[in-house]
Amino acid sequence: MAKWGMVIDLDTCTGCQACTTACAMENNRLPGENWQDVLFYHEGTYPNVKLMWFPRPCMHCENPSCVSVCPTKATYKDPDGGFVLMDYNKCIGCKYCQVACPYGVRFYVDEKAVVQPDIRGVFPSEAGRQWDPPYKGPQDDPSRGIGIQPHGVVSKCTFCYHKVSKAPKGVADLDEDIPELKEYVPACVRVCAPKARFFGDLDQPNSNVNKMIADKRGVRLKDETGNKPQVYYLSGGATASVPSLRSMSDSDKA
Amino acid sequence: MTSVTVSNKEITSKQLGIMLLALIGLGIAGGIAISNLMAEGHAAYNTNNLGLFWGFPIVIYDYFLLTSTGLAMVASMALIFGGEEYRPIIRRSLWLALAGLLGGVAVLMLELGHPLRALWAIPFSFAFSSPLYWKVMAVSFYVLSLLILQVRMMKPDWRMQDLRINAMVTLALALGVTAIAGVVYGSQSFRPFWASGDIPVAFIFESLLGGLAFIIFFTYLAYAFNAAAVPASVKRLFNDRLSTLLALAIFIHLLFVLARMSSGLYGNVEGLQVWQHIAASPLFFAEILIGLLLPLVLLMYPGTRIRPWAQILASLLVMNALLISRYEYIIGGQLVPLFKGSWAPELLSYAPSPTEWLLLLVAIFLSNAVNALGEVTLRLGREG
Ligand code: SF4
Ligand code: SF4
Repeated sequence: MAKWGMVIDLDTCTGCQACTTACAMENNRLPGENWQDVLFYHEGTYPNVKLMWFPRPCMHCENPSCVSVCPTKATYKDPDGGFVLMDYNKCIGCKYCQVACPYGVRFYVDEKAVVQPDIRGVFPSEAGRQWDPPYKGPQDDPSRGIGIQPHGVVSKCTFCYHKVSKAPKGVADLDEDIPELKEYVPACVRVCAPKARFFGDLDQPNSNVNKMIADKRGVRLKDETGNKPQVYYLSGGATASVPSLRSMSDSDKA
Repeated sequence: MTSVTVSNKEITSKQLGIMLLALIGLGIAGGIAISNLMAEGHAAYNTNNLGLFWGFPIVIYDYFLLTSTGLAMVASMALIFGGEEYRPIIRRSLWLALAGLLGGVAVLMLELGHPLRALWAIPFSFAFSSPLYWKVMAVSFYVLSLLILQVRMMKPDWRMQDLRINAMVTLALALGVTAIAGVVYGSQSFRPFWASGDIPVAFIFESLLGGLAFIIFFTYLAYAFNAAAVPASVKRLFNDRLSTLLALAIFIHLLFVLARMSSGLYGNVEGLQVWQHIAASPLFFAEILIGLLLPLVLLMYPGTRIRPWAQILASLLVMNALLISRYEYIIGGQLVPLFKGSWAPELLSYAPSPTEWLLLLVAIFLSNAVNALGEVTLRLGREG
């Protein structure tokens, strides 16, 4: 059984946000509700300021706190592939999973729109969904959190379950450079122009992702939480890096 | 038993008045809140996806829930350990516990994305790893045990010793609900402001404090704050035992708050920076100085502790302080956003929206209406 994981090479990532855009298109995300985001920040004080960026999908944790707190089992860990998914039909919108996810990658979309104008008013839905965008992906599987999000539920990145789960059994890596596999590659990985993202099976010792994690000493974000992300960062330090702990001293305030 | 110094008819008409006022208030506040919700959906609340997920409605819900369990603890401990002198407050405490819970749950229902789905999706999920699952299950059994006790006390000649087992079950469930409510927050290890092993215990003392304050305040309310109408047995109980217990509970709650504040201000643990913000806020000062220290002084000073006005004022101030305390804890734990906060220096900002304030009124009016209904139909004052 596969355990899908992602490797993001921060030395190669240019912060172009193609991944964010591709994810939004693929998954019909509302503007601002980015399942996959690139977060920009700065470190240091003038004149020694460094602009940093950090790409951040759902970590599809091995031991996800969002799953253990959910009182309805609407959030669950798919044993076949290790995806952390949402069943929109079971979610009651209590937002406990949002509170409990250390990575801030869950969204409850019934609130005020993050980006104005609120596009839900421009493309209203008649089917009890959040909106009815002019372009929609053909996939619709509410039991896995795929398709346009209904009202009153939380949503999250699916690791492009609708693509990855259709990959031929036993493949070690889903690489967009292999023509027969590229349809199964998650949207954010597939569009990454500088090829900073890789996707593969963490349970196969010979997978490219496993080798990269070993060779370049991949790290997991906030590993101290015990969530054990299935997303690894390669952080050479030349450009972007895994952010250091919070610093809230006055000198850090912009 | 001491005879009641005011006629049942008088009490009934006053209670009917309170009920009417509460129902009118409920109609207005609930009507506006629901129409706002219908027009705007959850956008009527000021919570957001940036990190403040649980806002004022959750504060209100937990406040009323903990008040309810506190009242149940007071009543069941009085039944188990107290003796006959506590009789005048037991039925009223138990009924208030139900009334308060109803107010809180109503607000929770208006906050959930799918309130009706929750009614089946939680009980049948068997999500044993979730503190919320346990909380909902425990609350269900807790309500059942409150109802059974209340029904068994409908007989005018109910005897305390017959109800001990029932009271023990109620006490265990009230403690369980409160402790689990603490675990919901206290187990969030990556939110240092919330996470602490002592939170379930702190919640239990906070609930007890709320229970004591509420029973004193609402007993006076049952006599329309006319101290002359309050039966002598009730006065004796309040002047003696309950004032002492209330003072003690204030003191213990203060210790918990101040201990957490000092380690929050002194240490440099990630996420505890929010203490600097909280400890400097006027709300915090109001909570500590006016809401807790002033009542403590009123109740400890022999000249004031036996004065009805001092008892009423002290309980009212404590009731407010506990709401502030709940607000600071639940909102404060989210002001340092978990992830974006890793490098974003600012705390999040949040203030309840008008609709969220209305929900507080909904809970207050609904609980008061139900409480007054109990006073009228169950004649809770007959025990005095
Ligand atoms: S990153 Fe958050 S939402 Fe994703 S699996 Fe982990 S805990 Fe759950
Ligand atoms: S919001 Fe939905 S998915 Fe999240 S914990 Fe509540 S029921 Fe589970």
